[in-house]
Amino acid sequence: MTANYHPSDLTIMRFAAGTLPAGPMLVVATHLSGCPFCRRRVATFEAAGGEILTEIRPAALSDGALERTLNRLDSSEPAPLASPSPQPASIDGFILPRTLNDCKVGPWRTVGPGVKLSRVTMPHAPAANVILLKVKANRRMPAHGHSDLEVTQVLKGSFSDAGNRYQPGDFVEGDDDTDHSPVIGSEGECISLAAIEGHVRFRGFFGRLLQPFIGL
Amino acid sequence: MKTLSDREALSREAVNQLLLAIATRQDRQAFAALFDFVAPRIKAFMMRSGSSSELAEEIAQEAMLLVWRKAAYFDPARAGAMTWIFAIARNLRIDFQRKSKSSKHVDEGEADGLQATEPTPEEILFVRVDEERVRAALQALSSEQEEIIRLSFFRDRPHSEIARELDLPLGTVKSRIRRALARLRDLLEETL
Repeated sequence: MTANYHPSDLTIMRFAAGTLPAGPMLVVATHLSGCPFCRRRVATFEAAGGEILTEIRPAALSDGALERTLNRLDSSEPAPLASPSPQPASIDGFILPRTLNDCKVGPWRTVGPGVKLSRVTMPHAPAANVILLKVKANRRMPAHGHSDLEVTQVLKGSFSDAGNRYQPGDFVEGDDDTDHSPVIGSEGECISLAAIEGHVRFRGFFGRLLQPFIGL
Repeated sequence: MKTLSDREALSREAVNQLLLAIATRQDRQAFAALFDFVAPRIKAFMMRSGSSSELAEEIAQEAMLLVWRKAAYFDPARAGAMTWIFAIARNLRIDFQRKSKSSKHVDEGEADGLQATEPTPEEILFVRVDEERVRAALQALSSEQEEIIRLSFFRDRPHSEIARELDLPLGTVKSRIRRALARLRDLLEETL
């Protein structure tokens, strides 16, 4: 599964800087788990972060900060071993990427003909708009324009949009410069993971059906 | 009492050595020297990212405690000390933001699940970046491009915040960020 479409430089940089909102961060992390190319891009921006940290003009600490920290070293336990991963999350027998292991994955709910949606809730960011979307072969995905940032990672099947074909592992990014009306491939249903930031204006029949479920 | 300019004199290799001394023999003097150099920079970094002075200092101190606890995971073949410490401070900032947004208790290191400071085995295989090259590329940018990349690094909403800060139209900021990042990518590829 080698991806052909990747997050933009800005999105990779924001991920490395830790400034992406929780929802998009989860979708980018899902892309990274299968994309060594982008892990390398993130590492490059982390190195840039190390460089910025080295070069920044220091801000004086309050008096005694070092002593207070030194006093806490002994009570500071060694780092705990990584806890074993919980059972992989799944929905209807479809195994989800391990980045979703901590999330609550809601049931599929029909939001239109051939379109099902499941809400993904992140424990530490319950308000983040993250969804799984399952659309039948040859259907059109809900049409919408964006207002801030929307990121999508294809998990299964494929869709085409504006002349590009997106397959499992691919990452699609849109902002308010883009308008989407993707069509699902003929080989079978398509499942994707999406995070939406900011207000989204849905258009068309499916879009009007979808709007109440997204809650934006 | 060391002055700030003394602290700035620490070389990157010296910082690596301090961290290794902590990792291999829990060297408290090395920790104190590393703290002097790094903690005020983490504080400054957090303030640039919008944290209050108090919160920035708390994150700096907590980050240094994590540096002490996790030092054994530091692998100089994978990343320089400052890059490794940057990643710890960044994850901590994400944790603090999540704690402040949700009333639920979140364990320390929760954000590690998304991007671990301890790499998973497949990441160790693939990710190794020549930091010298990254530094050279950043320095080769025009000052305008370097500024916009630094600003985008610190801002939660880079487009709108930078547009306001520099009093520029949103479209101009978007294309400037895009061009600066494309230039950075070109510079990194040139020296491959």
